[in-house]
Amino acid sequence: MIFIKPKMKKTILAGIISLLSFTSIFAQDGKQIFQANCQSCHAINKNLTGPALQGFTERGPWTDRANVYKWIHNPAAFIPTTPYTKELQAQFGGQIMPSFPQLSEKDIDAIVDYINTAAAAAAAPVATTDTAGGAATEDDGTNAITFGIISIVLAIIALVLMQVNSNLKKLSDDKEGILRPDPVPFYRNKIYISLLALVLFVMGGYFVSKGAINMGRQKSYAPEQPIYYSHKVHAGINQINCLYCHGNAWESKHAAIPSINVCMNCHKAISTYEKGPKLYTEDGKEVNGTAEIEKLYKYAGYTPGQPWDPSKATPIEWVKIHNLPDHVYFNHAQHVNAGKVACQSCHGNIQEMDVVSQQSDLSMGWCINCHRETKVDFYNTADSTGNKFYSIYEKFHNDIKTGKMDSVTVKDIGGLGCMKCHY
Amino acid sequence: MAAAMTGCGGAEGNDPGRAYMPDMYYSRAYETYGYNNIDDYQKLKERGVTYNATPVKGTMARGDASSMNLPANDSGYALATNYPNPLANVQLTPTQMKEADRIYQVNCGICHGSKLDGNGPLWKDGNGPYPAAPRNLLDDYSKALSDGKMFHAITYGRGQMGSYASQVHPEQRWWIISYIRSKQGGGTATTASDSAATTAAVNASTASTTDTSSNASN
Repeated sequence: MIFIKPKMKKTILAGIISLLSFTSIFAQDGKQIFQANCQSCHAINKNLTGPALQGFTERGPWTDRANVYKWIHNPAAFIPTTPYTKELQAQFGGQIMPSFPQLSEKDIDAIVDYINTAAAAAAAPVATTDTAGGAATEDDGTNAITFGIISIVLAIIALVLMQVNSNLKKLSDDKEGILRPDPVPFYRNKIYISLLALVLFVMGGYFVSKGAINMGRQKSYAPEQPIYYSHKVHAGINQINCLYCHGNAWESKHAAIPSINVCMNCHKAISTYEKGPKLYTEDGKEVNGTAEIEKLYKYAGYTPGQPWDPSKATPIEWVKIHNLPDHVYFNHAQHVNAGKVACQSCHGNIQEMDVVSQQSDLSMGWCINCHRETKVDFYNTADSTGNKFYSIYEKFHNDIKTGKMDSVTVKDIGGLGCMKCHY
Repeated sequence: MAAAMTGCGGAEGNDPGRAYMPDMYYSRAYETYGYNNIDDYQKLKERGVTYNATPVKGTMARGDASSMNLPANDSGYALATNYPNPLANVQLTPTQMKEADRIYQVNCGICHGSKLDGNGPLWKDGNGPYPAAPRNLLDDYSKALSDGKMFHAITYGRGQMGSYASQVHPEQRWWIISYIRSKQGGGTATTASDSAATTAAVNASTASTTDTSSNASN
């Protein structure tokens, strides 16, 4: 195979250098060879497509280095020669490692050196990286309380001052001999009572109408899910596109919950949660990410290190968050694909949420408002972008050109029609 | 009354709040991914609905007719070497190429990298969460890999990579392959030698496949 040639040159060179220098350079070179040839299937301390390589030189036939050379140069021929390799093949679903005849014995030695140094490094205690930011500051809440206390104190001071003022006035009146009717106590003062009644009426009306409007709306609904799945870790930190899992949003009414095989695309290999920040539930309880991945394995019927049989999977009963009444038609493809609306416009900054909560109230007024304001993406012949469907509205373009209109809103093209949603 | 109404409205945490007419709000008809948090609503499992349901036996999804039907294992992978690419001699239009780019970035880019260099955000030079190194799609190995083998790998998975049959349609898979070839610089020319025999031996049936797919892409 041609593509190994430059690598060979390099290793020969490295071999010459290593005669004069230390094994660490050897291992360094081994790292490169390992990454180029082995790492797609092998990890140091984890079974992937092939077995974990940590300490393999103490296992089975590999105590004899000559066997290692033979194996790497032609695994298929080596398998039937020892029971150990036969068992290994069965354990890894009958797959046979490709042969690497281009790797010289020196290369293989370098790889083994690298595996040993890397395994030793991994075994050394790793300082636990404590990520700050666990205790989220509740600025909004404390601010509201502070302001409340301040206004109550101010109100009391005002009352006291008013009382002092009226007392002083009474004293001065007495001194000057002016006669005044007995003061009415404030709880029988008609002005106070009517003011209080007005305030109560306004406040009561506000809360009643707010409560009534919110009935049937589920804004800030954030249910506990069967598996603690963090959108922040997946879509935020690891930059997985929304459509990777919710691909149906591009071509169907429903955004769709991914089936387990989509989770297992990555989680067959990623069995632990180590590198991300700490996870917390809504109540502030810490979540063990690795345990949550194990929950997924239970649903998937998967044992790490074994070949996975997808037919053994059972569904995960995710709790649906965004609900629309039956008499409302909403189509994801129409918005995401045709309208090019970003997921975040309706779902909020989902890539920053550990626990998903509903961000919009999904009320009719909210939908209508967006339809009133959203500009239509007309087809542009110059760079062939935009939506061809609306080219029948050429008239609007002309009207804009002639100055009859300044812009076109969704309303103008039937976006407020009742049948858009109620059919 | 104010207190009563305030208590009724909003949702928070596990509480979905209340609705005026629950039997109108929570559909009696079966809805996709129904409301399994509502106690008296039948649970998904009891309805026999699963997210993992495979198509009904004997049926075929639209566009699946040209799909590869080979064993999902090593032997199938070997057989796929000469599997003909229906788009082998088709040049994707700029619009199609843009769509192919989108499909690649959504589905493949997270591992194989947005630049196809095998260094996507899940690998990140070994600092990402993924323990296995994704294949660099621009290296000589990938350039030499036949279209059929690539298609087999996307359809059935290969090594640590899972099957993407549920995420990309057969036609989109060929688009992805065309996209990768265009980024590799050689177009589909590199595979011509690999599957020259097959291309020459393309019979009436594969020719018709080519026709349908090129029609569909228009």
